[in-house]
Amino acid sequence: MGLPAGKTSVEKLAEKNGVQFYRIKSDKFKTTRIDLFFMDNLERDRASGNALLPSILKRGCASYPSVTEFERKLEELYGADIDGGSLKKGETQLISFHMSHISDRYTLGNEKLFDECSQLLMCILEKPLIEENGFKKSVFAKERDNLIDYIRSRVNNKMRFSMTRCIEEMCEGEPYAISEVGSEADALLLTPQNTLELYREMIQTYPAYVYISGEVDDISIQNFIDNFISMGRGNIKSLKTSPVQKNVSEVKRIDESMDVNQGKLCLGFRTQVDACSPDYYPLVVYNGILGGDTHSKLFQNVREKASLAYYAQSILEKYKGLMIILSGIEAENRGKAEEIILKQVEEMKNGNISKEEIEATKKALETGMKSMQDSQGSIVDFFMSQHLTNCTEDFDSQAEKFKSVSMDDVVRIAQNVQLDTVYFLKPNEKASGEGNE
Amino acid sequence: MNYNTQFYEKVGETLYEYRHESGLKVFFVKKAGYNKKTAMFGTNYGSIDNVFKVQGSDREIEVPDGIAHFLEHKLFEQKDGNMLDKFSRLGASPNAFTSFTQTVYYFSCTDLFEDNFRMLLDYVQNPWLTDENVEKEKGIIGQEIRMYEDNAEWRVFFNLLECLYVKHPAKLEIAGSIESISKITKELLYDCYHTFYTPSNMIVVVVGDLEPEGVFSIVDDMIKFKDRGKVEKRYPDEPEELNSEYREQKLSVSMPLFYMGIKDNKRVSGAELLKRRIALSIALNDTMGRSSTLYNRLYEEGLINDSFRFEASLDQAFGFVAWGGQSVDPKKTAEIISGVLKELAEKGIDEKSFTRIKKSYQGMYIRSFNSVDTIAREVMDTCFNGTSYFDVGKIYEELDVSYTNNVIREVFNNKAALSVINPL
Repeated sequence: MGLPAGKTSVEKLAEKNGVQFYRIKSDKFKTTRIDLFFMDNLERDRASGNALLPSILKRGCASYPSVTEFERKLEELYGADIDGGSLKKGETQLISFHMSHISDRYTLGNEKLFDECSQLLMCILEKPLIEENGFKKSVFAKERDNLIDYIRSRVNNKMRFSMTRCIEEMCEGEPYAISEVGSEADALLLTPQNTLELYREMIQTYPAYVYISGEVDDISIQNFIDNFISMGRGNIKSLKTSPVQKNVSEVKRIDESMDVNQGKLCLGFRTQVDACSPDYYPLVVYNGILGGDTHSKLFQNVREKASLAYYAQSILEKYKGLMIILSGIEAENRGKAEEIILKQVEEMKNGNISKEEIEATKKALETGMKSMQDSQGSIVDFFMSQHLTNCTEDFDSQAEKFKSVSMDDVVRIAQNVQLDTVYFLKPNEKASGEGNE
Repeated sequence: MNYNTQFYEKVGETLYEYRHESGLKVFFVKKAGYNKKTAMFGTNYGSIDNVFKVQGSDREIEVPDGIAHFLEHKLFEQKDGNMLDKFSRLGASPNAFTSFTQTVYYFSCTDLFEDNFRMLLDYVQNPWLTDENVEKEKGIIGQEIRMYEDNAEWRVFFNLLECLYVKHPAKLEIAGSIESISKITKELLYDCYHTFYTPSNMIVVVVGDLEPEGVFSIVDDMIKFKDRGKVEKRYPDEPEELNSEYREQKLSVSMPLFYMGIKDNKRVSGAELLKRRIALSIALNDTMGRSSTLYNRLYEEGLINDSFRFEASLDQAFGFVAWGGQSVDPKKTAEIISGVLKELAEKGIDEKSFTRIKKSYQGMYIRSFNSVDTIAREVMDTCFNGTSYFDVGKIYEELDVSYTNNVIREVFNNKAALSVINPL
């Protein structure tokens, strides 16, 4: 029932009081959705509060004061989904909300789901549970406790933990070191009152992007936009950009130990490349050749040739111009692994790149750009990222940019990549114990 | 060319089924308007298949834990280079996975589907193992095993299976242990390959904006291997009792993690398996889903958080229901849940909740058709279990509250086991 393959595009429907509304054109999906993002500068004293907002708002609203009632309503609407969260892109914090439901034609009796589902979304945004000029105390207390538990639990996933620690050390003193959910110390300063204050700021002053995708009629969309805009808006906050230029004078080395079996090695680099600059495209190709896929230098040399690791890869942080290399290894192989990794980075600088490597990477990027258009979530993420960085390329033109990257471009980028921080999560001597009670 | 079609009107999708002369089953789902094409080549062979009769002999062997997964890694290696590189040169993204019951090789691409598809069909039929390349892989898989040793969610899950199963190999780690993989040899790998990688034990699934005849004729052209006959594998008789009620381990985590489960002792297959799986999911959702009184009580009391999950894992060879997440007090939480489950086993689920939750699951089924990869995986999984993913819609229509309550009584009267990971 989908349309033939063609351009996936986005149309701006309205812009009012710092809110931009977009309609994504792609009719092949079975679901209809709204994705909205409120944006704030990533700052220490705001990050925890911002992260707490979606958790509190999801706990009910004036029409559905209990979670049980709210969730039962969603089940009745064929398992509609309403969710929210916090993420960071560069030094911008995004507070996101999401609504999705199966498109009307797939319901048992051609029911109209969009109006009801979007009203539920508006309810949690507009009419949170409030008492004594603060968020409802019991809800606030529980969600703040959960946020703190969540912040503490980042240690559980050792791969992600080592990467986060590497970035924290590397970007010490820069806003990017702040977590997308803030810190425990800052979460403890929050109260039902100051968090409600922050909520009002979000609704009234944060710049926002709204994306609507899937089958839905124009009248319903217009009604949603009108409702959204009718929430009061004040002076719209202006956002700072994320600086990417930084010269490294000395490589920082951090070793930390923990009771783990496998060591995690993380190398943080500065690429000096802005998200929407012409150099961004060769940077992505550079990263692909170095450690983006199974054909990459890191995978081939650390895993396939030396058998030191199950994974060895490099990841770009597009908005902050960072590249992180990660690998899980035995502690005793740490020196050997680091040497092999840095040798690959040198090979890139020296232009020791085969035609096959660059071609395979460019093809992988082309496949990636096309495949993204088969997921509603990825389409939203693509356009939102472009809007955030004031980048005008669409899927096709960005794919063209990747195609035209030359070997010289890649080597030029390689020359500017600087190692900033080496982080190693080291296993303690004593291995972890196990036993039945 | 002869093939069958199954049209699922409600979602507007068609399943094409072709039976190759070797006995290999081939499925295709057309996704008009999608760029991505996914092809999977899988064998009905996973980590639990460790006792079997070697094809062409009367010899029954027991193989080292983790060998199915080891073989999965090794199949990528070919005489003229690594398959991962070859796919990558054509812009495709290749991978494979080994589960309890399946080993599946796949790729996704947007262009050059035919070249990639031919490569997939070819390399899975042609293993190339040497003593040297088998040894080399032990280092890589060793690190994969070490990674899982530090993964608390993985550990809490397998420790639960260890509690649930006395003898059944579902309790074994899919990748094995450093010790067990050290015993793997080229010869043993070939024994496994020749036994399980035979057309009548395998399935090919393709999903994407392609044409059925095109897909099936490539299969005709590429499938060279002949069927080696019926697989004879054996599982131990699993007693109804638990292996143990409780298991605990300490790892570097911020707060305790728990996973609790009940063994389903009744073995079914085909449409009945799907029906039972859905009925148990609805029962779990009713009892401990986000809309339930229990979930909200535990959440309010600070005993569970957003990480709480549940699952109904049912397969032809084994089955269990399980739930868990982070908790400051796993034992107290487990006790409260057990109390509510006892009540569920007595009273069952009421018609109104059943209807509401069923509707929400029907919605999720329709959503699954958004993703080429999900469709491919589900078509393969349901076929290995003797049914069709396109029958799920019909199963929802048939499923009623009295059937669901029968299944509830059969399962939730069994004793639950508890696995806990405590912080160091």
